[in-house]
Amino acid sequence: MIACVAVVGHQNNPLYLQSFTEADDALKLHHIVHCSLDVIDERVNNPKKSGTTLNEAFLGLLYPTENYKIYGYLTNTKVKFILVTTDLDVKDADVRNFFRKFHLAYVDAVSNPFHVPGKKITSRTFAERVSNIVNTFWLNTAV
Amino acid sequence: MDGYAEELQTPPVTLISLVGCPELHPTISSYLHSKQTPINTLALPDFSKIPVLGRTQKETVDCRQPDGILKRDWLLKHRTRVPAVVAALFSSDQVSGDPEAWLQVCTDLENLKTGVRGRNIKLVVVVVQSTYKDEVSEDRIIALRKHAEVDSKYLLIFIQNDASELTRSLKRLGGAFAELAKIYYRDEGQRIKTRIEKKSFKFNVLNIRYCFKVAVYAEFRRDWVEALKFYEDAYRALHEMVGTSTRLPAIQRLVEIKTVADLLHFKISALLLHGRKVIEAVMWFRQHILSYKMLVGAPEVVFLHWDWMSRQFLIFAELLETSAATIPSNASLVLGTSEKPLTEWEFHPAYYYELAAHYMREKKYCQEVALSASETSKRIGSSSESVIQSVFIGQFARLLEQGEAFAMQTLTDAEYVHYAVAEGKRFQDSYEIIALLKKSFESYSSLKAQRMASYCRNQMAREYFALGEFGNAKSLFDGVASLYMQEGWITLLWEILGYLRECSRKLGSVKDFIEYSLEMAALPISSVAESSSCKGEYGPAGPPTFPQREMIHKEAFGLVKGEPILASDEGNCALAITEDQPLHLEIDLISPLRMVLLSSVAFHDKVVKPGAPISLTLSLLSQLPHPVEINQLEIQFNQSACNVTIASVIKEAAMASYIGETSTHVETAPNLILLTNKWLRLTYDIKSEQGGKLECVSVIARLGPYFTICCRAESPASMDDLPLWKFEDLVQTFPTRDPALAFSGQKVVQVEEPDPQVDLVLGATGPALVGERFFIPVTVTSKGHAIYSGELKINLVDAKGGGLVSPRKTEPFSMDSHHVELLGISEPDGEGESQAGVDNIKKIQQSFGLLPIPFIKLGDSWCCKLEIKWNRPKPIMLYVSLGYLPNSEAGVQKVHVHKSLQIDGETAIVMGHHFMLPYRQHSLLLSRIKSHDSDDSPSLALNQTSILIISAKNCSEVPLRLKSMSIEMDDDDDEIGYSCTVRQGGDGPLDDALLVPGEYFKKVFSIVPELNFPRLATGTVSLRWNREFGFEEQSRSELTATEVLTRHKLPHVNVEMAPLIVSLECPPHAILGSPFTCYVRIQNQTELLQEVKYSLADSQTFLCSGFHNDTIFVLPKSEHILGYKLVSLASGVQQLPQVTLTSLRYSAELRPSLSASTVFVFPFEPQIMMDDLGSKLPEPIFT
Repeated sequence: MIACVAVVGHQNNPLYLQSFTEADDALKLHHIVHCSLDVIDERVNNPKKSGTTLNEAFLGLLYPTENYKIYGYLTNTKVKFILVTTDLDVKDADVRNFFRKFHLAYVDAVSNPFHVPGKKITSRTFAERVSNIVNTFWLNTAV
Repeated sequence: MDGYAEELQTPPVTLISLVGCPELHPTISSYLHSKQTPINTLALPDFSKIPVLGRTQKETVDCRQPDGILKRDWLLKHRTRVPAVVAALFSSDQVSGDPEAWLQVCTDLENLKTGVRGRNIKLVVVVVQSTYKDEVSEDRIIALRKHAEVDSKYLLIFIQNDASELTRSLKRLGGAFAELAKIYYRDEGQRIKTRIEKKSFKFNVLNIRYCFKVAVYAEFRRDWVEALKFYEDAYRALHEMVGTSTRLPAIQRLVEIKTVADLLHFKISALLLHGRKVIEAVMWFRQHILSYKMLVGAPEVVFLHWDWMSRQFLIFAELLETSAATIPSNASLVLGTSEKPLTEWEFHPAYYYELAAHYMREKKYCQEVALSASETSKRIGSSSESVIQSVFIGQFARLLEQGEAFAMQTLTDAEYVHYAVAEGKRFQDSYEIIALLKKSFESYSSLKAQRMASYCRNQMAREYFALGEFGNAKSLFDGVASLYMQEGWITLLWEILGYLRECSRKLGSVKDFIEYSLEMAALPISSVAESSSCKGEYGPAGPPTFPQREMIHKEAFGLVKGEPILASDEGNCALAITEDQPLHLEIDLISPLRMVLLSSVAFHDKVVKPGAPISLTLSLLSQLPHPVEINQLEIQFNQSACNVTIASVIKEAAMASYIGETSTHVETAPNLILLTNKWLRLTYDIKSEQGGKLECVSVIARLGPYFTICCRAESPASMDDLPLWKFEDLVQTFPTRDPALAFSGQKVVQVEEPDPQVDLVLGATGPALVGERFFIPVTVTSKGHAIYSGELKINLVDAKGGGLVSPRKTEPFSMDSHHVELLGISEPDGEGESQAGVDNIKKIQQSFGLLPIPFIKLGDSWCCKLEIKWNRPKPIMLYVSLGYLPNSEAGVQKVHVHKSLQIDGETAIVMGHHFMLPYRQHSLLLSRIKSHDSDDSPSLALNQTSILIISAKNCSEVPLRLKSMSIEMDDDDDEIGYSCTVRQGGDGPLDDALLVPGEYFKKVFSIVPELNFPRLATGTVSLRWNREFGFEEQSRSELTATEVLTRHKLPHVNVEMAPLIVSLECPPHAILGSPFTCYVRIQNQTELLQEVKYSLADSQTFLCSGFHNDTIFVLPKSEHILGYKLVSLASGVQQLPQVTLTSLRYSAELRPSLSASTVFVFPFEPQIMMDDLGSKLPEPIFT
C-alpha cells in the first residue's frame, strides 16, 4: 500500500507531499521523504557506483526503513518523485508503472498556465488524479 | 559486541597442554603463541595435575530432554581447559636414569594415558636433553614409545642448551602439535557429525548443539567454510524450534531461542564478513531480521524483543564497521536479487546504528509501559535478587543457598518477567539511544548524507528533550532547523521550531522564545492545504495548522504586551518582558525572522539637492497570521540628523513623552497596522542638509512597551525573496505602488553639494586673435555668503579634443609648443604687487592655472584677468572652477562653482606679397624660358628695380589699427644688407591706418637686387597692429590694447642678369586723329651681339608707320630703339599694335602684355593739365 507520494523541486524543496495512511505518522513520512533525497543525490552524483544509467528516470529502491520502502524517480527537469510504500513486496514493474502515470499527471499540472514553475503544486485536480493513481496501484498489487 | 562472552568474539585457538619440565614451559608456550596459527598452551608443572584434563562425570544426554540448547561454558572449556594435545616432557636424566626414575616415568605416563583417554586427547612424549651429546639409549626410547603407545614421530627429542638445536626442536614440537591438534579437532568434529548424519538424537535441541559443536571444531581447524555451514545449520534448526519446542515456559523459551539465534547469527555474520562476503552478510542479516521480527513474544516483555532487535542492528553495525571488508565498488552493489535489491545505505553502519537506535527507543517505550504495569501490581521485589544466568545460554535460574551448597531452581514465567523488568530498570536507555544516534550521525556525516545526519541529530535532540537536557537539545535542534529552512520543509521545520520554542521556554530565554514563536507564527502554513494531513505527533507545538499559528502568535504578543508566561510546569519562573528587561530583536538580511517583518526602503530619486525634500517610501510586510499594530516606527539613516520617527495618530499623544527626549523628526501616520501579507506603505519627505551619501540603515519598530524589532532596511531593487514563502503559490506583490520603483528603488540617495551662492563671470569679448594677449576678465561676486579660502582653477582644453601641444614640436617649455597658452593672471589694481607672497602659491602652466582668492565679503566682488595667447587659430574650452568655503567654521564642506567658455582663436591679419616689374618694361630672364614648370620663387633681374607690393587683409571681425609695416632683413641672412636695396615706396608712415574687417591694406616697396645670387632672401615683413576698441567697449572692459607684431616672411627670389631688356615707351594718352610716337627700346646688356627679330601686328584703330618685320642687331652694351608713328582712329581705351620681339640667340619671344600695350585715346585734346603732361612725356633717346 502506498503511504506517501511526494514531488521535490530543484532546491530539494517539497512541491507536493501527500500521505495516504490512516496512521499518525505524517511527520515521519516527511522525514523519510526528506532523507531519501540523500540517496537520490548519491545516485545522481555517482551514477557508476549505483549502476543505474542516467538515461533512466526510475531510480529504483532508494532505501528500506523498518516499515517502509522508498522508491525514487527523477524527471529530465530534475524534479524528483518519491514513493513510500508500506508493502515490502512490491514489484519494480508496478512501481515503474506508477511513476509513469504520476509523471503524466505532474506534467499536466505544471502545464497549467497559472502555475508558476518552482512553486508548490496546489491544484486540486492534480491531487485527485494522484489519489486515483494511488488507489488503482493498490488495487493492482492487491490482486 | 560487548554482550558476548570473550571466547565467542574471536575465533577459537588450538589448545595443547604441557606436563613436566616446568622450566621449559615459558619458552615453548611463547613460541607456540607466536606461530602463524597460534596455539595456546595449558601448562601443568607436574604430573600430579593430570586429573584436571580428565572428563568430569558425564550424564548421558541422549536419553532425556536436555535442559537447554547450549551450555554457557562449553566453548570456554574447549578453549581453556580441554587441550587437543598433551605433551609429556621428561628430561633425559629421568629416562636414562636409574630404574626408580624410569619407573616414575612409566607411572606418570600411565596416569596421563588414563587421564586423556576418555577425551581422545592426543599424546606427545618429549625427551628433553640439555645437549646433543647426552643421548638416551635406543632401548629406553623404544620402551618409552611402547609405553606411551605413540607413533615414533610423536616421540620427540628436545635439545635445550644449543640455540640452533633449540629452534629446531621447537619447530619440530610446534609441527607435531599442530598436526595432532588438527587430527584431534577433526576427529571430534567427525564424531559429532556422524551423530547428526545418523540423526541419532531424539531432540531437536541436540541437533542444534551438535551443529554448533561441529562448527566450533571446524573453527579450531580454521575451516571457515565448514564452520559457516554448520552454524547455518544450527541457525536453521533453531528457527525450526520456534513454536515447536515446549521445553520451557513460553516466555523463557523464546528468550533462549533468541539469545542462541543472536549468538549463531553473530558467528555467521562475522564469518561472512571475515570472508569479505559483504553482500551475503547483508542479505543474511536482512533474512535474520525478517525471521525474528515478528517473534515479539508476550506483551509484558515486549521490550525484551525490541532490546534484542536493537542489539542485532548494533552488533551488525559494529561488525560492518570493524570488518576489513570494504564496500564492494561499482555494479556489484546493486546485486542482491532483482526482487530485493540492496541499497547504498545497507552497506554502511550508519543505517544499522540508526535502526538500532530506533528499536532501542521502541524498547524504552515498551519498558516504560511494562514498568508502570509492574508497579501497579506491586510484588515482593526481593525475589529477583537471587536470579542469575543458568548454565545454559539464554536461561535464567534462581540460586538457592542450602547451607554450603548452591542449587539452581528454574523460574516461572511470572518470576522471569519480574526479574527482567527489574533488570531493565538499571539501564539508561536514553543515553544508549543518543550514543547510537551519534554514531549514526557521524557515519552519515562522513558519507555527506546531510539529511540523514540531520534526522539523526533531530532524534538525538528529541531524546535530550525527553531527558530534560534542554540546552543540548536546543543546540542540536538549531543545527537541524537551518537545513529544513533552506530546503523549505515547512512541516519538519514546524516540529523543530516547536521543540526549540519549548526548550527556550524551559530555559527561561525570553528572546529565543519570542524569536521562535514569531518564526513559527510566520511559517507558510495555510489553513486549507495542510490541515488534512496533520495527524499524529508533532512535538510540543502541536500539528502545523493555521489555528495553531494563530495561537502561537497570540501567545507571543501577549508576552510582548506584558502578560508573563510560565517558563516551566512548576511555575516557579516566568517569562516576561518588563521595563528592566526590555527585548530587542535584530533582523538581518539572512534572518528567518524576515518573514515576520520585512522592511524595504526606496528613495524616489537617485540624486537630491541638499535641503531639498526627497520622497522616501517605507514598505513593511509581515506574514504573521494576525494584524500587528506598531506603536512607533523609527527610520534610521547614516546621517542621524535625518532620522524620522513615525507614530500613528492615535498613539501620538502617548508617544510624545518618549519622543520629547530625542530631537528627531516626527511624522504621523493614520494607522500603523500590518496586515498579513500586505505591504504597509508609508511615504515621507526627507531633507538632508549634508552632501554625500544618504543611506537608510535600519527600521526600528516598537511593538510593545518594552519590545522593539530592528529590521535592516533593504532596497527593493536587490531584495531577496522571503525564505519559505518563495515556494508558496502566492500572488506577487510589490513593496511600492510604482512597479518601476519596486524594481529599481534603492535605499541610498546621493545628496549633492549645497548650492553655491556665488557668481563666477567670465567676461570674454568675442573671438581672440592669434598673436594678441587676450584678456578674459573673471569676476567672482559673493551673493549669498562670504567666500573663505577660495581657489580658482583654470584649465584650457582643446575644444575639438586632443592636446594643446603641437605634435611636431616636442620641446616641453618652448614658447611655441602650445598653440594656446595661459600666459598669466593679472590681479586687479595693484593687489598683485601687494600680495607678492601669494605669487608662489599661484601656479601657472601653459594650460593650467591655480590661483588663490582672498577673502571676499558678502556682496563684494573680486576680479582678475586671465591672459591667454593663441599661437595658432584654434578653438579652446576654458574651464574655470572656484572652490571655497561658505564660512570659516571647521568641517564645512567645500563648495564648487564651475564655469566654462568656448573661445575661438582667429587669425587677424593675412598678408600677401607680389613682385612686379616697372610699367612697360620687360626683362628677358633666361631661367623663365628654360624651366617651364611653375617655380614659386619669383625671378628678379639684377640691378633692375622691381616692385614689391605687400598686402594685409583684416580677416577678423573687429577693426584693427595698423601701426607700422616694414621689411626687415633676417638676422641669419647677413648678405642681404648689400645684396639688394629695398626702399619704401610711399612717403611717410602709415599714420595709424584703420583696417575694417575684410579690408586690404597694401604698401609698395621697390627692390633692386644687387647681387647675382640664385636664391636671395628678401627679408621679413613686420606688421605692427592692435585691436581697435570702440569707445564704449574700451570704457566698459577697461582693457588696454596691446600691440601685436605679425610677421610675414618674404620668399627667396631668383636674381639673374637679364640679357635683354625691352621697354615700351608710349605717351600716357593719345588724342583722336593726332599722331604720336611709340618707341620700343631694346637694351643689350650682354657682351654679345644680339640678333632680335621683330614684327608688328596691325591694329584697326591705329594708323601705323614704320617697319612691320625686320631683324636687327643690337650691339653689346648698347641699345636699339624702334620707333613708330601712330595716329589713332578711334577714341577710348585702345590696343596699340602688338609688337613681338624674338631673340634669336635665346630663342625667346617677348610680347608685351595687353595691359602694357593699351593707351587711352581722347576724342579731343583735354584742356586741363595738358602742359604738365606734355612736359613729362619721356623723350626718346636715340642711339
